[in-house]
Amino acid sequence: MMDKQIHLWAFLQGIGFFPSGWMHERARPEGVFSMDYYARVAKLAEQGMFDAIVFGDQLQSRGAGGRTPERMAMPTLDPVSLLTAMAAVTKHVGLVATVSTSYNTPEMLAERFGAMERISGGRAGWNIVTTAHPATAPNFGDNDLPPKDERYRRAKEVVAKACELWAAMDREGPMLPQGRPVLVQAGQSADGRDFAARTAEAIFCPAANIDAGIDFRSDLRARVAVVGRDPDGVRIMPGLSCVLGGSEEEARASHAAILDLADDALAIEYLSESLGCDLTPFDPQGEIPVTTILEHTILPKADIARAVTPAHEKRTPLGAFAANFMRHPRGHNVFLGTPEQMADMMISWRDAGACDGFTLQPSYMPGGLEDFVEQVVPILQQRGRLRTEYPGTTLRETLGLPAREAVAA
Amino acid sequence: MTRPFILSASLAEAAFAVPQSAAPILQAAEAAGLDLLMMGRSGARPFDAQVLLAWAAPITTRLGLVATVPASNAHPFHVARALSAIDFLSAGRTGWSVIPEGSPDGMAEDMVGAARALWDGWGSDTLILDKARGRYLDASKVRASNYEGPFFKVAGPLNAMRPPLGHPLLVVDGDDPIDVADADIGLIGADGAAPAATRRLAKVSLDADVAALSNRFAAGEIDGVHFTLTDALAQLPEIGTRFGSLVADRIDATGDLRARLGLPIPQTASNQPGGAVVPENA
Ligand SMILES: Cc1cc2nc3c(=O)[nH]c(=O)nc-3n(C[C@H](O)[C@H](O)[C@H](O)COP(=O)(O)O)c2cc1C
Repeated sequence: MMDKQIHLWAFLQGIGFFPSGWMHERARPEGVFSMDYYARVAKLAEQGMFDAIVFGDQLQSRGAGGRTPERMAMPTLDPVSLLTAMAAVTKHVGLVATVSTSYNTPEMLAERFGAMERISGGRAGWNIVTTAHPATAPNFGDNDLPPKDERYRRAKEVVAKACELWAAMDREGPMLPQGRPVLVQAGQSADGRDFAARTAEAIFCPAANIDAGIDFRSDLRARVAVVGRDPDGVRIMPGLSCVLGGSEEEARASHAAILDLADDALAIEYLSESLGCDLTPFDPQGEIPVTTILEHTILPKADIARAVTPAHEKRTPLGAFAANFMRHPRGHNVFLGTPEQMADMMISWRDAGACDGFTLQPSYMPGGLEDFVEQVVPILQQRGRLRTEYPGTTLRETLGLPAREAVAA
Repeated sequence: MTRPFILSASLAEAAFAVPQSAAPILQAAEAAGLDLLMMGRSGARPFDAQVLLAWAAPITTRLGLVATVPASNAHPFHVARALSAIDFLSAGRTGWSVIPEGSPDGMAEDMVGAARALWDGWGSDTLILDKARGRYLDASKVRASNYEGPFFKVAGPLNAMRPPLGHPLLVVDGDDPIDVADADIGLIGADGAAPAATRRLAKVSLDADVAALSNRFAAGEIDGVHFTLTDALAQLPEIGTRFGSLVADRIDATGDLRARLGLPIPQTASNQPGGAVVPENA
C-alpha cells in the first residue's frame, strides 16, 4: 500500500557521529552509563517509527600504540546488554547488535541471540562482523588477526552453524518468534559483498552521495540475484548523519560549531587511532611524520600510505592535516539543511533506487536524534513515506519480510 | 552496618526465557524481598543468563541480579564487558557465578582471574567528562591487564568501564565449587562445606524452620539462606510470607548491592578500593 516506504535505522554507538559531538551542549556524555538514557532513546526511536536500533561494536579499547585517548568518548558498553535492556522498555523497535564471528563460537552466538530473540518477543537482529582491527587479537590470546578471506570463510561456517543451533532451539521451545534473528551485514570488499549477498537481510554501507548509493545497491542486488535470492528481500541502508537548521545557513553554522568544539589535541588523537600509530608526541606545527607512521602502524601499510602521502607532499603540518581528517565524514553522507530539505533528499534517494532507507547516525546524542524525530519524521509521514504505526511485533514484520524465517537446516 | 540476613534464590525454568513469564517472576522476587536472584544453576541453564540479566535490569529496582556463566562456553573479555554494562544499567545490582561443570580443571578460576584483571584495568575515577576543557577521561588511570592464565591470555584494556560495584558480586556454589579464596557469597553445599566467601548462605527448602535459621544467623553460623526454585511464580510469594520477616528491617534500604549487603570488594581481588564513579556532567 505504501509504495517506496523509507526504512529508518538508528545507529547509536557512542555519543554521536562527530568525534567532538560529546562536548555539544545537547550531548549527555554521562547518559551512556545510565538506564534512564537508554530508555529515553529507545522510546524516541519507537516514536520515530524506526525499524531498529543498531549498536556497532569493537573488541579492542580505543587508542593507538598503547596510549588511551583522553579527548574521545569511550568506552562503549556491550551492545547485546544495552539492546536487551532497551527491549524491556519498548514494544516494537528492532534491536540489532553487532557481534564478531572471529571471536565467538557458534554456541556462544546462538545462546546469546536466541535468548535476546525470545525475551524481546522476536525483535533481535545480528550485525555480523568479522572484526578488522589488529589490536583485537591480543585480547583473545592471539598475536594477529586471521587474513580477511579466512575471516569471511569462518564467518560463513559460524553463521551456518548458529542457524542450525537456532533451529534446534526453536524446535525445543520456547519458540524463537522469528525463527532466528534477522541477519545484517556491512561488507565492502569482494569477500564482504559476496558474504552479504548470500546471508544478509539488511545491509549497511557508506554512500557519500546518491550515485554512490545507486552503485552500491545495484551491485548488491545483482549479487543477491546471482546466488538465487530475491533482491526485494534485502534492505540496503546507507549511513546518514545530519545537522538541521531553520535555514541552510543556520545548519551550516551549527555544523561548523560542532567541528569547532574539537581542538588540535582531539584531532591528533582521532588521527592516531585512524592511522594505527600514536602521534601525540609530535609537534602539530611540524611536518607529518610519515616514516614513523609507516614504521609503527598496525593497520595495512598501503592504505595508510595512501591516506597520508598527498598531504605530506604538500607539506601540510600535522595539526592541520589532523583537523581536516577529522572533518571528513568517513565516506558517509552528512546532510546540512532544513528538515524539509532533508525529507526531500531522503525521498529522492529512495525514488532513485539509491537505498531502501537510511541508517541515521545522529551527530551528537541524544540531541541529534531528538531533532530528527521531532522535525523530519512528521514530514516523511505527511508525505506518506514513513509508517505511522508498526505493522506487527517482530523485526521481520517491521522490515516487510515474512514474519517467520522458514529455517532451513 | 549490622550484618544483614541475605535472602537468595536460583531459578532455571525454561519459561523464564519469555517476557510473559519472566516479568511476573521478577515482580514476585522483588515483592518477596529477595536480595539475590541467580539465573540458571549447575546442571540447568536453559537460557543465556547474562542476556536475561540485562532485560531484568530496567524492570526491577532492588533485586540483585546474578548470572551463571558456564566456563565451558564463555570468554572473559565478553563476560567482563557484558557484566560491566549490566552493572551500569542496574545501578550496581549485578553478580555472577562461574559454573565449572563441563570445563577442564582450573578454567572457571582462570575466567574469574581474567575478568577481575580486566575490571581492574580501569580506575574508579577514570571518567572526567569535562566538556568545557574537552577532557573525557584520565588516561593515566587506564592500563593493559596483560593477563596470562592457563586457559586465557587477555591483553586489555577492556573497552568497558570498571563496573559501579568495582567487581560484580562473585557467588560460589558449594555443590559445584570453584577454587577462589575470596568470593563474596558462598552457598553451603550438601556436604556442609562452606566455600571461602565473605558471606555464607545455607541452602534450604521452603518448609525450613524460620526460628532455627534466625538462631543460626545470630550465632554467626550463616549469613542467610538460598532457595532452589522449581516453580518460581508459586514459590516466591510463599518465600515472602514465611521468610520476609528476616529481611523486613532492610526492605527500604537503598544504594548499590555492596553497600546494602555490607560487602566491600575483597582486597585480594582488586587494586582499586571501590567501584566506578560517573561524574555529573557540567
Ligand atoms: C555503517 C557501517 C557500520 C559498521 N559497523 C561496524 C562495527 O560496529 N564493528 C565492526 O567491527 N565493523 C563494522 N563495520 C565494518 C564492516 O563490517 C566491514 O568490515 C567494512 O564495511 C569493510 O568491509 P569488508 O569487511 O568487506 O572489508 C561497519 C561498516 C559500516 C559501513
